[in-house]
Amino acid sequence: MSLKGIRTNDKHIKNLANIVEGNRSILYKKEDLLAYDCDGFTIYRHLPRAVVFPNNTEEVAKIVKYCHEHDLPFLARGAGTGLSGGAIPLNGEVIISLVKMKRLISVDFENRRAVVEPGFVNLKLTNSISDKGYYYAPDPSSQYCCTIGGNVGENAGGAHCLKYGVTTNHILGLEVVLPNGEVIEIGKDGIPDAPGYDLLGLLTGSEGTLGIVTKITVRILKNPEAKQTVLAYFDNVADGSQAVSDIISAGIVPAALEMMDQIAIEAVEAAAFPVGHPKDIEALLLIEVDGISAGIDEQIHQILEVCKRNHVREVKVAQSEEERARWWANRKTGFGAMGAISPDYLVQDGVIPRSKLPEVLNRIHEISREYGLRIANIFHAGDGNLHPLVLFDARKPGETEKALKAGSACLQACADAGGSITGEHGVGIEKREEMRFIFSDEEIAAQTDIREVFNPKNLLNAGKLFPTPGRCLEVKKEGKSVTAS
Amino acid sequence: MLQGELYTELKDVFPESQMEVKENEGHPLGNGGKVAVYPKTENEISHILQYANKNGKTVSIVGGGTKRGFGGLIDSADILLSLANLKGIVEHTVGDMTLTVKAGTPFQELQQYLEEHNQKISLDPAWPDYATIGGIIAANESGPKRLAYGSARDAVIGLRVVYPNGKVIRTGGKVVKNVAGYDMNKLFVGSMGTLGVLTEITLKLRPLPKYESNVLLSFTEGDFAEMRSFAAAFLDSQMEPVSLELISPSLAEKLTGEKFYTLAISFEDNESSVHYQESFLKSIQPPKTKMTILAQEKARKFWQSFYTISPNGRVSNQTGETEAVLKIGVVNLDVLKVIRESHLLQDTHNLLIEAHGGLGHGLCQIVLRGGSENVISAIQHLRNFVKQLNGYAVIKHLPFILRQKIEVWGENPPYFFLFKGIKTKIDPNNILNPKRFVGGI
Repeated sequence: MSLKGIRTNDKHIKNLANIVEGNRSILYKKEDLLAYDCDGFTIYRHLPRAVVFPNNTEEVAKIVKYCHEHDLPFLARGAGTGLSGGAIPLNGEVIISLVKMKRLISVDFENRRAVVEPGFVNLKLTNSISDKGYYYAPDPSSQYCCTIGGNVGENAGGAHCLKYGVTTNHILGLEVVLPNGEVIEIGKDGIPDAPGYDLLGLLTGSEGTLGIVTKITVRILKNPEAKQTVLAYFDNVADGSQAVSDIISAGIVPAALEMMDQIAIEAVEAAAFPVGHPKDIEALLLIEVDGISAGIDEQIHQILEVCKRNHVREVKVAQSEEERARWWANRKTGFGAMGAISPDYLVQDGVIPRSKLPEVLNRIHEISREYGLRIANIFHAGDGNLHPLVLFDARKPGETEKALKAGSACLQACADAGGSITGEHGVGIEKREEMRFIFSDEEIAAQTDIREVFNPKNLLNAGKLFPTPGRCLEVKKEGKSVTAS
Repeated sequence: MLQGELYTELKDVFPESQMEVKENEGHPLGNGGKVAVYPKTENEISHILQYANKNGKTVSIVGGGTKRGFGGLIDSADILLSLANLKGIVEHTVGDMTLTVKAGTPFQELQQYLEEHNQKISLDPAWPDYATIGGIIAANESGPKRLAYGSARDAVIGLRVVYPNGKVIRTGGKVVKNVAGYDMNKLFVGSMGTLGVLTEITLKLRPLPKYESNVLLSFTEGDFAEMRSFAAAFLDSQMEPVSLELISPSLAEKLTGEKFYTLAISFEDNESSVHYQESFLKSIQPPKTKMTILAQEKARKFWQSFYTISPNGRVSNQTGETEAVLKIGVVNLDVLKVIRESHLLQDTHNLLIEAHGGLGHGLCQIVLRGGSENVISAIQHLRNFVKQLNGYAVIKHLPFILRQKIEVWGENPPYFFLFKGIKTKIDPNNILNPKRFVGGI
């Protein structure tokens, strides 16, 4: 439509532009669409048909209804930090970007809940309520830019979910636009256990395939009274793994229990937030406990004892908030730090029973040797969530494919150890085939049956999550490192 | 079809020694079956469901029977599938703090076993000696300590489910963090056995607390403004109670001997942390209140008796009075209003009403005893009352005959068609626990 200066022969783009109020409501030119051809998973790319920027639920519903009636594939996108390709428009989708819907609608401190729009950035919620001593617990490493809507889609985790749980444990209510454009509200007022099947639980982590969330009621928590952080260096990975087990066996539930191996340490020390970790250690642990101050010293004492018993080379307690923040910045930017030591990297996201840590790490070393690619390991050791980072150079012919295979082999190792192929990044495009490592055809069909109930035309984010044999994808040709962490 | 024919047919697919013809007993709580079967294996369950699904036989599922009065508009299904013999621990990986267990295992047996390893399942359901883990998960049963530990949906990490067509589906896994595929576990938690028969449940465990106490704070003058401001101030502090349960005077009398509105505030942590929090409570103790601290064994005793205050569906009611239980969900601090309203109904409706609710999670349980008409009228009154608060009221226990007269689950939500869609997809022949759930599902 001329009012918005839209020049295209695509009538759908004109009609979609008319739905959305205001300027900058739609992108449709190829040069504008290029930024939307992938998310944080950059190996596969595809251009969307258009990107629309609705301002409110009604506009989202109208766009969805339009797509539904005209059989146009569509999907929702937040900040695009997803690491498994969930927001990549495989089928030339109309992307519904929720970045304009970024209001904090209300905060109710007495009843410990807040209502946000899906485009509201994760960390902004904590920043908005910290003056009253409250915070929002799920803390994915990309929390400074990822949106809570995206967190719901992926059931995002984070370093502190060992004690506090992942996104699904903090979602109390959702307003959802169903794939036919109908708007429903579940978990009214954030009241728990609404009668009926747990649709909140089902929608959270459905990777944008069952509906589009337009309003989210989350639980907020009071800041713990005290917090202490310990950094421990081990000469030997096995000792570090044993220390993890011993801390848990001592009945301590740390707020976070993170591990990095030697290659990961090399990378973080070469990147923007070096801490001065020794480069010749095999493993470091970053351990945080929080809670009632009177109880914390005892836990720290126990943790130090456990580390000493497991031949720790050096162990220290953060002496200031500044020091603690530095350690965490070093850890949380760990994925991006790989760019300092490798042109490209692929991050994987397997989960194993904690007790299998040493044997799975050995297997990952073998995989590294088999494929001739270095693999760094950064992981949430407390809950067994591994992030093997396969380092490669996409400019070398065949190396991208090799990296993908090595990543898949790491997931096979996790599945073989009784674990899962993804702990927090989601299946997306990346791990569709690996779903077969842990689920039978019937079990996958049980899940797609549920999708059919919500999304019978399968226009919403089709081709994600489940194995779809025979689909062709353009594999990225030249190198570019992943910027989201 | 005659009972005898059903029995004969079942015999072909299931060991006769584990079958029993039920007399048409007209159980006061309904939810029975013409033939009871007691499978010992998942495979046997699969055979029964295949038979039922093919032949259009309805199946009612029972564990310990404590929730027999919870929902259901059928006096007697064709088959009563008891999980009482599907018992035992499948796998306990101590270091991983995960436990896989068969669905028919009584909850208390599990806790006793886990205690030897300084671990526990962090749920606190009613009637733990009788309630099975499968029933607790299927009915989404929780207690006051969900304030700190969450509910069944937070504890379950994996399930094995026999679908109505007899196929076994695994959901989730054995690891504590997992986002592979849809979170199908959630679909079955609280589904009241209408989608599949749970056979194995994998749970994430917690360490046993090193020390615990339960602080009883009684408001001797029943001043609600005082209760509210105390609760708000306490919740705004950095203390970490595992329960903040408001108990109505009549229930308090039963549990403590004193008839005051009472808050049961529990702490579980190491000893110094617990004492520190007790001292904090003393420092903000409102005037005209009385504080009693129950430490360790005394705290455990208190909760043990607390978990037996509601009617137990496996025991027949000999009192001649009608017993009912309501589960009410409201916004956290509205629990105060619900508990007060429930208490006031005692006199207006000539009932004994014992009520409690969590000020940090918004769930209340109201036990009503008395004449049936008064019970029904009180339920309707409370339902209207919580509707104004945007809350809901579900009837967790009521005799079968009265369940025909009042909607157990309340009004259907606007998105009921999704429930129906899910049910139809998984159980197209509607054989599993028909009419037990929301909207006649």
